[in-house]
Amino acid sequence: MANNTLKLYYFNLQARAELIRLIFAAAGRPWNDVRFENKEWPQYKPKMILGQCPVLELPDGTQIPQSLTISRYVARENGLAGKDNLESAKIDAVADTQRDLNDVFHSKILFEKDQTKKAEEIKRFTDGDLFKHVNRLMILKNAYSRDIKYFVGSNLSWADLYVYLSIERIIKSIPNMKNSLDAHFKPTLDMVNSNSNIRKYLNERPVTPF
Amino acid sequence: MATYKLYYFNGRGRGEVSRLIFAAAGQKYEDIRFEGEQWPSHKSEMPLGQLPVLEFNGVKLPQSISIARFLAKQFNLAGKDNFEQAQVDAVVDTIADLVNKFIAVRFEADEAKKQELGKTFFAEELPKQLKNLETLGKLYGKGGAFFVGNQLTWADLLFYDVGESLLGAEANALDNFTFLKQNRAEVAKLPKIAEYLKSRPVTPF
Repeated sequence: MANNTLKLYYFNLQARAELIRLIFAAAGRPWNDVRFENKEWPQYKPKMILGQCPVLELPDGTQIPQSLTISRYVARENGLAGKDNLESAKIDAVADTQRDLNDVFHSKILFEKDQTKKAEEIKRFTDGDLFKHVNRLMILKNAYSRDIKYFVGSNLSWADLYVYLSIERIIKSIPNMKNSLDAHFKPTLDMVNSNSNIRKYLNERPVTPF
Repeated sequence: MATYKLYYFNGRGRGEVSRLIFAAAGQKYEDIRFEGEQWPSHKSEMPLGQLPVLEFNGVKLPQSISIARFLAKQFNLAGKDNFEQAQVDAVVDTIADLVNKFIAVRFEADEAKKQELGKTFFAEELPKQLKNLETLGKLYGKGGAFFVGNQLTWADLLFYDVGESLLGAEANALDNFTFLKQNRAEVAKLPKIAEYLKSRPVTPF
């Protein structure tokens, strides 16, 4: 691999690295996609700047932690973070709002092992929080978008990729929400799915439990 | 000429980092502060019904950290290139992890549980996050007192503000963290910041 290539360190999972991978893929930028299994983590942990992952490593060895920071950096390097500071800020606002939704989904539902509790939480989520946050995303899209496929302006940004991954994840966990979520997100979901660089990555990526 | 309006409650909370950025930049702005009872009548004017909101040349932006990043970039307080900005963002995200855990303790309704969570937070979680911040500061700070690149960035201003809240809850919170104490001291000494800290309203939060 060329020695000006960025290295991404993470588990062999989607989770907190997949957005970064999708950004590289959408940009058509090769990267060194280092994936380790759980049992290998003890060997990697001491080499990671904060003992956590994902970590992005530059050719000179400098490491950047924090998944959304890495996502924003890679997006900016590749023209996927807006054309000026104001557009970048709008993209950040969409990403932060998506993250607020994801925080609720992750904490209440995704990792809930008790099936009865999970079903209760799903009902509470779909009755309330889910669409409270979806409406917020739609408000921002109405304010910032110039083309219904994109959340901000009229070009692909990392906000679109983050929404795509997050909404697809929710649909996978709560399949009976697909139609009502499609009603809001279909133009963006279709746009990402039909991007040839992304299609290629999605077809070739390792299959992992999450 | 660019116009800036910041809407928030009359307190530090999630608005103060932006006020510190305006102060450091010497930038005039309209500092709109709502008292509790005024908020309900203004809530529908804000895109997501939440605060803070920045209005920049008539466009409303929600989300406190995105607002702060935008302002910092406007005023060259965000790092000198994309890579430095990423280092600043990494520090900010680490501070945000700390804040989220801190908030979970502060807003725990059950008093007994709150005591328990508070003990664990100050004994274990907080030192871990503070150590992480020192690691980043030493790696990115080029030997200076500021977190990134040997000059003031909004990461320093955010930590200054969060540090104030931590010290308010636990006066010894930073005792074992020389870099972090020195960092806050350097921020407080900057003339524009010192002036702002002297003249800003004193509020309960």
